[in-house]
Amino acid sequence: MTGRRIAGGSVPYLLVLPVVLVLAAILGYPIYYLVKLSLQKYGLLELVQHHGEYIGLDNFRTVLHDPVFWHVLLRTVVFTAVNVGLTMVLGTLGALLLVRVSTWVRLLLTTGLVLVWAMPPVVAVQVWSWMTNSENGVLNYILTDVLHVGNYFQHNWYETTFSQYSMVTSLVVWGAIPFVTITVYAALSQVPHELVEAAQIDGARAWRIFKDVTLTVLMPVPMLLTSLSIIWDFGVFTQPYLLIGPGQQTTSNYLMSTYLYFEGFGKSDFGIGAAISILMLAIVAALSVVYVRRMLRVGEEA
Amino acid sequence: MRYRVLAVVAAAITLSAVVATTAPSSKAAGHTLTVWLQVDAQNGWPELVAAANNAFENSHNGWKVNIQYQQWNDHLQKFDATIAGNDTPDVIEMGNTDMTAYMAAGEFANLGPYKSSFDNSAKWLGGLKASSTFDGKLYGVPYYAGSRVITYRTDLFKKAGFAKPPKSMAQFQRELVKVGKMQSHVKGFAPMYVGGEDWFTALGWVFDYGGSIAHKSHGKWVGTLASKKSLAGLRRFKAFFRATQPRSSARLDGTNPFPYTVFSQGRTAANYGPAWYTCCTGKKYAKVVGQFVMPSHTKGKPIPGFLGGSDLAVPIQSNSQAQARAWIADFTSTANEKALQKKGNIPNATSLLGNSVNERAAARSWFVPQAKHWINVQTGNILKTFLAQFLTGNLSVKKAAQVADANIAQTLNEP
Repeated sequence: MTGRRIAGGSVPYLLVLPVVLVLAAILGYPIYYLVKLSLQKYGLLELVQHHGEYIGLDNFRTVLHDPVFWHVLLRTVVFTAVNVGLTMVLGTLGALLLVRVSTWVRLLLTTGLVLVWAMPPVVAVQVWSWMTNSENGVLNYILTDVLHVGNYFQHNWYETTFSQYSMVTSLVVWGAIPFVTITVYAALSQVPHELVEAAQIDGARAWRIFKDVTLTVLMPVPMLLTSLSIIWDFGVFTQPYLLIGPGQQTTSNYLMSTYLYFEGFGKSDFGIGAAISILMLAIVAALSVVYVRRMLRVGEEA
Repeated sequence: MRYRVLAVVAAAITLSAVVATTAPSSKAAGHTLTVWLQVDAQNGWPELVAAANNAFENSHNGWKVNIQYQQWNDHLQKFDATIAGNDTPDVIEMGNTDMTAYMAAGEFANLGPYKSSFDNSAKWLGGLKASSTFDGKLYGVPYYAGSRVITYRTDLFKKAGFAKPPKSMAQFQRELVKVGKMQSHVKGFAPMYVGGEDWFTALGWVFDYGGSIAHKSHGKWVGTLASKKSLAGLRRFKAFFRATQPRSSARLDGTNPFPYTVFSQGRTAANYGPAWYTCCTGKKYAKVVGQFVMPSHTKGKPIPGFLGGSDLAVPIQSNSQAQARAWIADFTSTANEKALQKKGNIPNATSLLGNSVNERAAARSWFVPQAKHWINVQTGNILKTFLAQFLTGNLSVKKAAQVADANIAQTLNEP
């Protein structure tokens, strides 16, 4: 007993020390370096000499005065809202479906979901790109020659920004649904059956039961999933960059991530790139802080 | 006790694994020369790369060449990352439009003192030599150049009654339309497969009508795509593009599928591109593939073609610069350059020039403005956006050109 009292003061700190050190090394240092870079003029010349010149907040000023930045921000916010919304709705519907179906179908569905989740984005992009190819794609073939819904022969799905992002959205949502479905399904099994039964006896209809009983109990889970999805979709890079194509990225279809890539890496202007990264970080933090706070409050109440 | 035995076994396994993984690498005990080449070499002339590697490895005992093939789209971003990590390749292939920014930043080793060690260096092509020279110093070795030619199906043109190559752009367009009608039973057939956003193609029309992209006046760059002559060329290009594409909107990006793939599938009668396209037009059509020089709107002249090309440079971070130079000398040997020429490229020296279709097409050529920030116009896809805007009809040719001029001036005049 005495040993415990003596150690009491420092042991918790000692125990947490390795984690703090690891975090400082893998997260703290890059962020320190990013901030440092964002305050420097750091182009190709500086890269070769490994030495930048401090210019205060000039990089931030340049970015915030770039009209493209504001267009891209708006586009990215809309893109994120649509993608997160679709992912959450379709994912939750999937989970509700899983509850109702027989064990065999559930097994089949879950396997399918895990396979989708396991597919690397780059591979998925290749498959999508192949399916939607204007000359040889299976999508145009099915629409035109099998379903006869119209003439989609050699239809270019990447012609307008809207069409491009419809394709990207379908890919991103498709890839994100499994995580939401499986997590919500797991949470659904935690909803006490007595509550649902009681509501049924009281005469509540399916939608009412879902809204007032299931969703209320579940709430912390969709909250968490939404805030995670916001963080992912706001910064999504692989799908838009590769599906639309590196050679098709322009100021009229950038998302935040591709804008950052072209301003920072494409133009070899790493100071500007770092400034955009920090702005992006701040925006994502601002967007998700609302959710995180509500989530914490819900957690406390429960 | 059981645990101790387990621990010993685990340690033994780990140890043997370490020994096993280190043994083969210690046997190699040599040095590696890392070379970045573009995929063009991998697709078009891998045997020439192998020949240079053999020659180099035979004369450098214990050295191995590690060729890493790159894509044009992102090789510079990857290169920047290696510069940041001091882990650059020893030799890098640079597009002639990419060189200026990196030479200005001091990224490449000065090759001037070793110039005579490269074959034909006294007679290098002027255009390529200029792209490798900055402030009077030599930072690159010309590798090869290429102009653009028409690759076409001789059988289809003959069937339509055209035995000889056309003399003018208007005549060519009429022939293409006729071939297109003749082949209308082939679904999606394009008499000529052109990517509308392929600015290397489209700007040929601009230069053919005496126009230009940008010029420097009073120390400032000014975009000139909205000039009268440039506009005449752009309008002519739009008409040509519209007349030769079955559904032009689908054809903005001409790289997916690639032009020669469409050719090999029998769905086009002509491509406009590098002469080495014949590599991949398909076995089925091997006997009916011909090439001619794309005619100008002025009868009897070729259209000005983009003089593309590559240089080989040695990054200053390389620890094996002498070996890097030796490999470049092997790779650009007279024998290799002659073989490159046979593949449909323009060799790197005037002394080797012949009378191929490619070399005749190069008689009239154009090049991008020699501005420090030109590369940002390319990576920002400014010209592709511009072409898409007026080819789809979203903007008039004039309006699109004015927007492009403003974007180009802003990019090139950045400090």
